[in-house]
Amino acid sequence: MLKIILPTIMLLPTALLSPAKSMWTNTTMYSLLIASISLHWLTPSYYPTKTLTLWTGMDQISTPLLVLSCWFLPLMIMASQGHLQHEPHKRKRMFISTLIIIQPFIILAFSATELMLFYISFEATLIPTLILITRWGNQPERLSAGIYLLFYTLISSLPLLVSILYLHTNTGTLHLPIIKLTHPNLPASWTSLLSSLALLMAFMVKAPLYGLHLWLPKAHVEAPIAGSMLLAALLLKLGGYGIMRVTLLMEPVSNFLHYPFLTLALWGALMTSSICLRQTDLKSLIAYSSVSHMGLVIAASMIQTQWSFSGAMILMISHGLTSSLLFCLANTNYERTHSRILILTRGLQPLLPLMSVWWLLANLTNMALPPTTNLMAELTIMVALFNWSSPTIILTGTATLLTASYTLYMLLSTQRGTLPSHITTTPNSNTREHLLMTLHIIPMLTLILKPELISGTPL
Amino acid sequence: MNPHAKLICTVSLIMGTSITISSNHWILAWTGLEINTLAIIPLISKSHHPRAIEATIKYFLTQSTASALILFSSMTNAWSTGQWDITQLNHPTSCLMLTMAIAIKLGLVPFHFWFPEVLQGSSLITALLLSTLMKLPPITLLLLTSQSLNTTLLTLLAISSTLIGGWMGLNQTQTRKILAFSSISHLGWMIMIISYNPQLTILTFILYTIMTSTVFLSLAQIKVLKLSTLLISWTKTPMLNATVMLTLLSLAGLPPLTGFMPKWLIIQELTKQEMTPMATIITMLSLLSLFFYLRLAYHSTITLPPNSSNHMKLWRTNKTLNTPTAILTALSTTLLPLSPLIITML
Repeated sequence: MLKIILPTIMLLPTALLSPAKSMWTNTTMYSLLIASISLHWLTPSYYPTKTLTLWTGMDQISTPLLVLSCWFLPLMIMASQGHLQHEPHKRKRMFISTLIIIQPFIILAFSATELMLFYISFEATLIPTLILITRWGNQPERLSAGIYLLFYTLISSLPLLVSILYLHTNTGTLHLPIIKLTHPNLPASWTSLLSSLALLMAFMVKAPLYGLHLWLPKAHVEAPIAGSMLLAALLLKLGGYGIMRVTLLMEPVSNFLHYPFLTLALWGALMTSSICLRQTDLKSLIAYSSVSHMGLVIAASMIQTQWSFSGAMILMISHGLTSSLLFCLANTNYERTHSRILILTRGLQPLLPLMSVWWLLANLTNMALPPTTNLMAELTIMVALFNWSSPTIILTGTATLLTASYTLYMLLSTQRGTLPSHITTTPNSNTREHLLMTLHIIPMLTLILKPELISGTPL
Repeated sequence: MNPHAKLICTVSLIMGTSITISSNHWILAWTGLEINTLAIIPLISKSHHPRAIEATIKYFLTQSTASALILFSSMTNAWSTGQWDITQLNHPTSCLMLTMAIAIKLGLVPFHFWFPEVLQGSSLITALLLSTLMKLPPITLLLLTSQSLNTTLLTLLAISSTLIGGWMGLNQTQTRKILAFSSISHLGWMIMIISYNPQLTILTFILYTIMTSTVFLSLAQIKVLKLSTLLISWTKTPMLNATVMLTLLSLAGLPPLTGFMPKWLIIQELTKQEMTPMATIITMLSLLSLFFYLRLAYHSTITLPPNSSNHMKLWRTNKTLNTPTAILTALSTTLLPLSPLIITML
């Protein structure tokens, strides 16, 4: 664990002290090195928890997410080069160090086995994210996006803190393996109902559940590209991960508590997919598509079966890669046209032909075409939900249909059609951007060959 | 201000505080409080501005009322029990009167109106003294008598302080007033826990002192009295503005900054005492004050004011940072990982 966390922390002096000329190279290479070292976490193990210490440990749920979060740091740094090129040098350093500061907290949050450490690192990601959005966003609306982000998260997570401490008072420990062994049977009362609700709510907002999701499109639209990638690929997954962790703690109560969440999640998958169909803003469209996919993750992790957990895990990883790729693509268009409006940026295929290959691949994975892992995940989740209750197939089926339609709509409107007359000259797509897309695509394609790495089932 | 007069004021301020916090006899404690009040009065009014004089009068009137009430409550107690020991406050009426007097002295909610007014009338450094050092003697008296005070009343005072402190700070644009309301809402947290775990009150007070001193000293360094000045102050010392933002978020109690530690420990203690609903309420109420801290943070470093291209930037003086501010900033943002050590030291 430390062999990843310490180098990640030491990235900070690297970013701050590197000579101006080699700062980007140093940080990118160093973080890529960390990411490749972190791949060894994926090696199978006989034990349920690898490298278990007093505070941290990795099991089948956290390992893929940990590797994903290490993988994303170099990608975020690479993606930010474009929009930072006109900034003075000191600000570039500050930006990169903000990105780097989040990383140890995310790693701690995914690997913590102590609920309080988990809570602190879960919340600690908030301040750097806030700075990323409100300091580095472009429009004045970024301030209200920051307030939304902070208050939605805190209003839901302060009850989580209270109920974690309440759990500590009742059980005497917050160490997850021990809690799992002792099975704290909270008596079926209003108190336990409320505390289970408080335990779940923070993650429901973070995931986000439909109805509690309003902060997400705002944050995505206003954030710079690294912020969007971070939110889509890692922070939303913190929510899904948290749900999977805490639902195990409250089994007797959740029997009737999960109905409203399941309903909202599935209905939300449907609703946000339909919202996507009438979006005019590309980033907002991708953000709503994230909400729709995370709805499936929430529904799957609420019913707590083996199949649904592995479906949720695969969907989290593959959605993290796909949506981040889509945001990167949207950003390459944005940097050239300075607009996110779909009507103003349509028909870019003749101008950026190689980019449209990436667009095609990204959209095909987003609509879950075989043989992608997205399809594997959606099938597993739909089967698990169908097994739990057959009418859910109406909702999940329609949501899948709508997903395919809005993804096609996104692909067609950005790539095909006539070029708007105001886009006459655009800079070519450069190698950095292609490398960025490639580094997203490679894990997506290779995971098709070995999905058990991310499926959350014991190897 | 004449250096001799300043020296006398400072020395008597320290003397008054130490007399009160180390006394065991009500009369001595009262004497210390009075010395304290008289010593701060020239410091508030030193600018001779009518606003400062007004603040001085407001401060003097409230403090002398409160001191008289303290004297009255201890005399009532002495009348019925025959002793002047601070820790032996047994008479119910005098307990009630003492709670009220301390609430006036501290600026707890039904008696808080003087506090923002006085802070607004004094300089930033005096405001810092008023919101930290001048709160120490009353808090100490409260700590010494906390065993015999009415818990429900204290909880009520605490909840309403956090509520009103957060609420009334929302529409302020003056930094000193905002910090005054922040002080009121932090006092709510301290009073909340005082009857359950007085050590935590001390810890909260110390950490609050560290954090608020950082903010006051930093604002004094960049000479910021209102939000609009804060907006254009980033050219003076950009790094200081960035750390002010972190300190403000720490005051708001966001993890992983220092300000989260007292909140965490207080909530833990409250849940142990089966006060979970109260813990939830006071936690949610602290979100109100988060809003104005966030606005201060936005103004300090996140936003730039719109201006034309020939706008004159503030002159960058390249002043060196003073060491106390640097140390206090470091303390007020990074103490959370040390919390196990700090808890064992309590």
